[in-house]
Amino acid sequence: MKRTTIPFGPQHPVLPEPIVLDLILEDEKVIDAIPTIGYIHRGLEMMVERVEYTEMGFVVERICGICSFMHGMGYCVSLESIMNVEVPERARWLRLIWAEISRVQSHLLWLGLGADAFGFENLFMHCWRMREEILDIFEQTTGGRIIHSVNRIGGVKRDISDTELAAILARLQQLGAEFKETARVFGTDPSIRHRLSGVGVLSMEDARAVDAVGPMARASGIAMDTRLSGTFMYDHIDFQPIVETAGDCLARVLVRLREVDQSIDIIRQAIDRMPKGEGMPLENKPRGNPTGEVFTRLEQPRGEVLYYVKANGTKNLERFRARTPTFANIPAMIKLVKGSDLADVPQIILTIDPCISCTER
Amino acid sequence: MANPFRLPMVPRALRNLASKPATRLYPTEIRPRFAGARGEIEFDLETCNFCMLCARRCPAAAITVARDDRYWSIDQLVCIACGVCVDVCAKKSLTMSEGSRHIHTKAEIGPDGRRPGLEEWTKPAPPPAEINTAG
Ligand code: SF4
Ligand code: SF4
Repeated sequence: MKRTTIPFGPQHPVLPEPIVLDLILEDEKVIDAIPTIGYIHRGLEMMVERVEYTEMGFVVERICGICSFMHGMGYCVSLESIMNVEVPERARWLRLIWAEISRVQSHLLWLGLGADAFGFENLFMHCWRMREEILDIFEQTTGGRIIHSVNRIGGVKRDISDTELAAILARLQQLGAEFKETARVFGTDPSIRHRLSGVGVLSMEDARAVDAVGPMARASGIAMDTRLSGTFMYDHIDFQPIVETAGDCLARVLVRLREVDQSIDIIRQAIDRMPKGEGMPLENKPRGNPTGEVFTRLEQPRGEVLYYVKANGTKNLERFRARTPTFANIPAMIKLVKGSDLADVPQIILTIDPCISCTER
Repeated sequence: MANPFRLPMVPRALRNLASKPATRLYPTEIRPRFAGARGEIEFDLETCNFCMLCARRCPAAAITVARDDRYWSIDQLVCIACGVCVDVCAKKSLTMSEGSRHIHTKAEIGPDGRRPGLEEWTKPAPPPAEINTAG
């Protein structure tokens, strides 16, 4: 049969960011997909050569506007472990709280985009309305809605007072109650089910074979979550990774829906268990310049992120590298797109929650 | 098979018809910013001693300082509001405002091609008498 090649992207209604997939079709079936990235490469990793290591954290945050807090945190944690800086306990708890708030924020953003892609405008607006409230919490606590700039090497810059924390928790729990209604729509609406269930199925074996990470892997039944390693105070939190077994687009939506609730619960536990009081130490400033290399792993909303930092005793790092979750999930996406219908390609691409800014840095 | 008559979004959509909008009528209605929100860098020419520390540490290279010319400038469109310069300035010449950042447009580009958002200061040299007593 005659083959047709259709370029998908870099501009496409479902793509908030540019990526190109050259789809090779036979009739309506995709038989091959060739991804091209590099449309928004900014060379942020290269900037370590110009920007001193103390300020590089603010550049790293700008890798992506959705996981900006976690990127900043990953960078600071890497340098802290190279330089053996002990981070004050309250600062570690605050980092966990901000990290989980950004997970809620990111999932709400994605659920909105997902709803928009399958044509559910009303649902999209509700998800983003709730996300605005989370951004308000960020602005109130960090001074910025998207780029927070609170992480410093050795701690955090700002404290959140205990009364403010209680107010934030109350607001998040109210939001969580409101979110239940939205989550029910995602889970039960017949048009959504019809559109997503059985589409783009990634079996557990395939997910392992292509090394899927994050919600993508968890939707295929792999109980994989970097938070389970217990670093960054997660050892003080009771939680189980959220796993679905179907492996289709709907399962990936359901995993993220449940993770919103889970994150709110983790924040509740953290606020319960963190040391209380005003004026606690928040930052131990590092001394001298770093020497050595380190790998750091974090669980971002989209999955595991890996940072590599190599320092040579000067003010500028020798190498900084971030392997972001979307980059790890692209092979899985290609695997799913092959053999699917052309009409299902947008849903499949969207349900891996692609963050192209992260991927290309 | 899902029941096509069960449409879970309908109650919410009906409530939306009666509720007030979630958005504001910007720009007639502007939400006040939170205390501690990061806005723009404000500079105090009186206290600055042109040590150049802020320019050296700024990750975005938004600040230019020329010690000999007693010149200090910031490009507000390059500044990423990280607050490093405020932290490092020993003279407390820099502060972070809490208001929203100004919106600069191409219309501001003057006939000399000056960048919008570029703010410059030059401090006149101290009178010679002062130099004599200091030196
Ligand atoms: S660090 Fe402060 S005193 Fe030094 S040049 Fe900058 S603004 Fe002036
Ligand atoms: S706030 Fe940050 S980016 Fe802006 S001028 Fe100061 S150091 Fe530079």
